[in-house]
Amino acid sequence: MMKCEPHPIVVIVEHDNGKIRPVTYELLTFAANIRQCPAQRIMAVILGDSVEQPAEKIAQATGIPVWAASAKEFKFYNAEVYKHALHLLMAALQPAYVCIANSSCGSDFAPGLAVRLQAACITQVQGIRSTSDGVCFTRAILGGKLHLEVRPLTKTTVLTLQPGMMPPAVESDGLPGEVVLKKIHVPPQSSKTLAINAVRSDDLALADAKAVVSAGRGIGDETNMSLVHQLADCIPHAVVCGSRPVVDLGWLPYNRQVGVTGSTVSPALYVACGISGAEQHVSGMRTSGFIVSINKDPTAAIFHLSDVCIVEDLKTFIPAVISAIKSQKGTPES
Amino acid sequence: MKILVCVKQVPVPEAIYEIDPGARWVTPGSGVEYQMNRYDECAVEEAVRIKEAFPETVIDVLSIGPSRADAVIRRAMGMGADDGIHIMTRTAEFHDPFTIAYWIAAMARRNTYDLIFTGIMSEDMMQGQIGPLTAELLSIPCATAVVSAALHKNNVHVEREIEGGYRESVELKLPALLTIQSGIHTPRYPSLSNLLRANKQPVHTIEARTLAHPGDRQAAHQVKRPQNIRNGIFLEGTTEVKADQLLKILMERSFL
Repeated sequence: MMKCEPHPIVVIVEHDNGKIRPVTYELLTFAANIRQCPAQRIMAVILGDSVEQPAEKIAQATGIPVWAASAKEFKFYNAEVYKHALHLLMAALQPAYVCIANSSCGSDFAPGLAVRLQAACITQVQGIRSTSDGVCFTRAILGGKLHLEVRPLTKTTVLTLQPGMMPPAVESDGLPGEVVLKKIHVPPQSSKTLAINAVRSDDLALADAKAVVSAGRGIGDETNMSLVHQLADCIPHAVVCGSRPVVDLGWLPYNRQVGVTGSTVSPALYVACGISGAEQHVSGMRTSGFIVSINKDPTAAIFHLSDVCIVEDLKTFIPAVISAIKSQKGTPES
Repeated sequence: MKILVCVKQVPVPEAIYEIDPGARWVTPGSGVEYQMNRYDECAVEEAVRIKEAFPETVIDVLSIGPSRADAVIRRAMGMGADDGIHIMTRTAEFHDPFTIAYWIAAMARRNTYDLIFTGIMSEDMMQGQIGPLTAELLSIPCATAVVSAALHKNNVHVEREIEGGYRESVELKLPALLTIQSGIHTPRYPSLSNLLRANKQPVHTIEARTLAHPGDRQAAHQVKRPQNIRNGIFLEGTTEVKADQLLKILMERSFL
């Protein structure tokens, strides 16, 4: 029988200049799911240069206590600054788990923070399972083809959670949690964040698209991109986009990249051509209405997420579909 | 300037895996092909570009894996890395990322590197940990998801790719560790002359079991097939039959 764990579960608030990101509320659900008994405290920690307001907002909405640390060094996210500050705060809290978003900043500081806390670090967690050997954390491996359950062996464990895997914490109508303001002195670090710059404006055509035909690494050759464009031409309102490898190769412009650091789309129809289904891309399209996937690898992870699964070489299949569509329309092929 | 690039040999994306029910770990079958982790190729490319800009630069390439991992060390040397280090593990078992980073840090301390590069993550374990863990163990600053790096005398200016179409500009004092995101430059093919030289050159090989082991912080519990998030239908028949079926489905749903 699992004895009740007195050490708290700490959630690190993910925010954009005080604007709380939705993944923070998913982290709170995650924490509640890890908790071994009601007596185990869940609390939130937020770092920023002006965080009283967001801290109050979370405390009110969820009823959990929040430690809010302000310092001018927190204005821009920086790994060395965050590791220093969180190490100090966690040393005081002695948490059983530190729950962090698997975002560009969370994944940047979590492993190094774990080293400072002598903790195991398990990243890109998608699920939890209690076993007789303890709580195990599920994560994807091998491009999403398999899942691995990992068990921490340390007193403290640092976890990063994939966004979109947990429902957001339900709003509490109980008493607001206590907000404690913390002053942290951050000495100069070996790294300094200078600025944040926008390099890509969102492509509105993509955001509003009713249908998307998407190209992945399985396209193979730039010449095959014409098949993707021709297929999109046959489908009303369809827009062409792609996963990161296709954009890296210059076969599509950056503003057509769908995935973690690209755009998120949710069209009624999503046709994935040669896309493996790894989380980095899938996170940008998983809420699409109807997903059709074409891939010659029968074990591609994308097939777990598709409504229609087609195991075919897209070089022969796409022309066959285009031909079928044109015959149906009675349009002579030009 | 001395650079260490860490590379990993991974199964090709199309590899197929069988797992025994209740198995703790999975090993690819004997027919599986391997290649260099795509992001590590990008890391080697960035190091070689620095060497082209600063010809006195020396690049060491390190890989941890069974004997077949020698192939990716040779490939990195074919791309332009100077010397290879192979930490030989006996089997392709689950390794705690902390242990891998611990071994890399132990090797890094035998030299004085100005820069250490890794890929942003491996395509097989998909953790994104080795770079940040290694940096912490060496007490050097780290930046992940780097899409550009400009060297100055005592520091490096990088741009990190973050969400929403933004980039973060960060200045790190040297020595520093960077994890490289794809898309900056297309990794070059190894050149014949470099490959010939690489194949003649001994790679410094160390058995992992001779290195101090820090003690595991996590263990593999069980490998499983993912559950279906949607229960899709697999179309059957010839290419033409499937194309007609797809047409029918799209028309039924008024997409055409």
